[in-house]
Amino acid sequence: MAMQRRHLLAGLATAATGLLPPRPAIAAFAAAGIDHPVQINFYNYNLATAGLGADATRKLLREFMRANPNIKVNGVGVPVTGFTARVQADLAAHRQVDLIQLGFGDLDFAVHSLGAKALEDLIPAPELAANFAGIAPNGLKLGMLDGKTYGLAYTFSTPVLFYNADLFRAAGLNPDQPPLTWAEVKQAALTIKAKTGKGGLATGILGPSAFDWLFQGVVRSNGGETISRDRKTMKFAAPEAVEAVAMLRDLNDSGAMANLDVNAAMEAMAAGDMGMYLQTSAVQGFIVAGAKDKFDLRASTMPSFGAKKVRPNNSGSALILLATDPVLQRAAWELMKFLTSKRGYTIITSEIGYLPLRTDIVDDPQYLGEWVKTHPLVQPNLKQLAVLEPWDAMPGPNYRQIVKTMMDAVELAVTGKVDVAATLLAAQQTTQAMLPK
Amino acid sequence: MTPDAIPAPGWRLAIRPQAMAQRRGRRLGRGVLGHGVLLALSFVCLFPIYWMVVTSLRPANAIFETTLWPSAASLANYRYTLNAIPVAQMLGNTLVVALLVTAIQLLTALLAAFAFARWRFTGDRLVFALVALTWLVPFQVVMIPNFLLVAQLGLLDSLTALVLPHFASALAVMLLTQAIRAFPQEVIEAAHMDGASSWRLLWQVLVPNLGGSLASLAILIFISTWNEYFWPLLLSRTPENSVIQIGIQMFMSAEGNQWGPLMAASTMASVPILAFYLVLQRQVVQSFMQSGLR
Repeated sequence: MAMQRRHLLAGLATAATGLLPPRPAIAAFAAAGIDHPVQINFYNYNLATAGLGADATRKLLREFMRANPNIKVNGVGVPVTGFTARVQADLAAHRQVDLIQLGFGDLDFAVHSLGAKALEDLIPAPELAANFAGIAPNGLKLGMLDGKTYGLAYTFSTPVLFYNADLFRAAGLNPDQPPLTWAEVKQAALTIKAKTGKGGLATGILGPSAFDWLFQGVVRSNGGETISRDRKTMKFAAPEAVEAVAMLRDLNDSGAMANLDVNAAMEAMAAGDMGMYLQTSAVQGFIVAGAKDKFDLRASTMPSFGAKKVRPNNSGSALILLATDPVLQRAAWELMKFLTSKRGYTIITSEIGYLPLRTDIVDDPQYLGEWVKTHPLVQPNLKQLAVLEPWDAMPGPNYRQIVKTMMDAVELAVTGKVDVAATLLAAQQTTQAMLPK
Repeated sequence: MTPDAIPAPGWRLAIRPQAMAQRRGRRLGRGVLGHGVLLALSFVCLFPIYWMVVTSLRPANAIFETTLWPSAASLANYRYTLNAIPVAQMLGNTLVVALLVTAIQLLTALLAAFAFARWRFTGDRLVFALVALTWLVPFQVVMIPNFLLVAQLGLLDSLTALVLPHFASALAVMLLTQAIRAFPQEVIEAAHMDGASSWRLLWQVLVPNLGGSLASLAILIFISTWNEYFWPLLLSRTPENSVIQIGIQMFMSAEGNQWGPLMAASTMASVPILAFYLVLQRQVVQSFMQSGLR
């Protein structure tokens, strides 16, 4: 049902593209300041939920408006599954859309179809540099496309290997030394399965709502990539990628990895029925709620391919500026600055569960210092910030179809009885034809 | 056949009670089997509802327990749900929208169906076919143009916009046309002979006798409007101006679903629908009986 809904909304999004008003490619600088009351619309998917993300977002907006009395922020909650469709529909209806919270996988689409503004085109260089000071360089790269910054990482996270320490003990494994390589993960998973009867490993790599973010990190960690650096050639059938997928196939065929849907895998982990679970750290709150008073939940970094360096990429969302009026652009930029400030990331990390882009607040008792001490699960996440790489957004209007075709082929290659290399190659040829000419 | 194969009269008398007993046994067997099937089907229908209610009573760390009753049942999820979203207002909005859509669609369908069933005019079959064809066009196809129109009218984030595109239903027109065509001609002719106008014929003769059809159609429209998701999803901007289906969806996110509150919201959302069905249940059954007898 969720998949049908996503396809339907993606279809609507495509249909609405033709209705969008022309968006200026280059804008003048944003206004220097705001001397009269203005209102901006902030499209946000956390606000469309009834969870902690909505409460924390409302808190952020309240604090911002208190500090900036001339700027009123109208938070528009939009469910994440139909986010781009709604933004497109509203743009087509000439609604004022100033700032959006959008997944990194949609970045290219936001730039070329929604009229996202490059911050370098709007904000004077000294001001931009002053704001970027203190932000992890890897974090800044996440929202860049063609050398310009279109998105500031907002609610983002890295892939983490959650594990059930109680099941490790029951299987005779040492929970203080979690597996670090895929080979060790396989061994541990098979042991847990044999000794406890519970599931060994589940991941969020495959499934209808998985997208390609985790898969990209797996391929990259084996020295491959899903698309070339110039984003003109699909490369997920190259030998390194095939080897990575073959490893996943082996995990599947050996029984080490359970073939579960993303939600089912998450719920199996939260229920204490799974030994390990590789997924975005963003689901930590959900798993912690299930584990409370039930089992010892711990986390480790994403597994590596032998001695090769782990190269995870982020999941999550960026703040993308769409405002066309210079005054509203300034107002939206001020909000972006606040949301990605030390105070902003303190709330985002401690109350929603994402990562701080400003690493200097991690040990600062004024910000996250005390919180980090009492929340050890965040450590692997913080550790991976140093090696974090961008989630490659597929280019062109067919980007969703490219991702789907690629991930369908990967799923078939991992869980089916087909030849891995041939399956990936066929899909690669198909997706190559979908890239912009 | 050999002569000794012909049973003697006494023999026939003796076999009769045995055959009757066998027939009774078969009937009983069929009855038991039938009731068994009905019980199984009832279980299949009712168990998910039971599970929804039970899950709504479980705490977060016991949400995946498979016991038939929670080890520590509480109403905490209901309290959380009521605080997290404006449940009462969303239920009220949904009720208003569903009642308005039901009433308006019944009215427009009744008038159109009466015209199609009672009057012959040039192109009537073509017009009816065109109306029927619109039934095959999914609402999602016309959603974006409708959205643009509603936006131009300045009606986004309003209940009016939720009702507006649902003024007419091809399914309702077709069903009522069929019901009116099947109405006994003698009664209609008698009404005409008594000097009844078309207006009077419709409201004083047909409508009172189409209670079953109208009730079952009302239930269909009400339930489908109650469950409507895509259109409110596109239109709503604030929970206060939205419907309960959007409220339920607010407990689902990429970071994990909040099953307890979600089930609590779903339970609260189901209550009005169940009540609506219970109130009109007799008419629905009557309607099915009548159509079956015909």
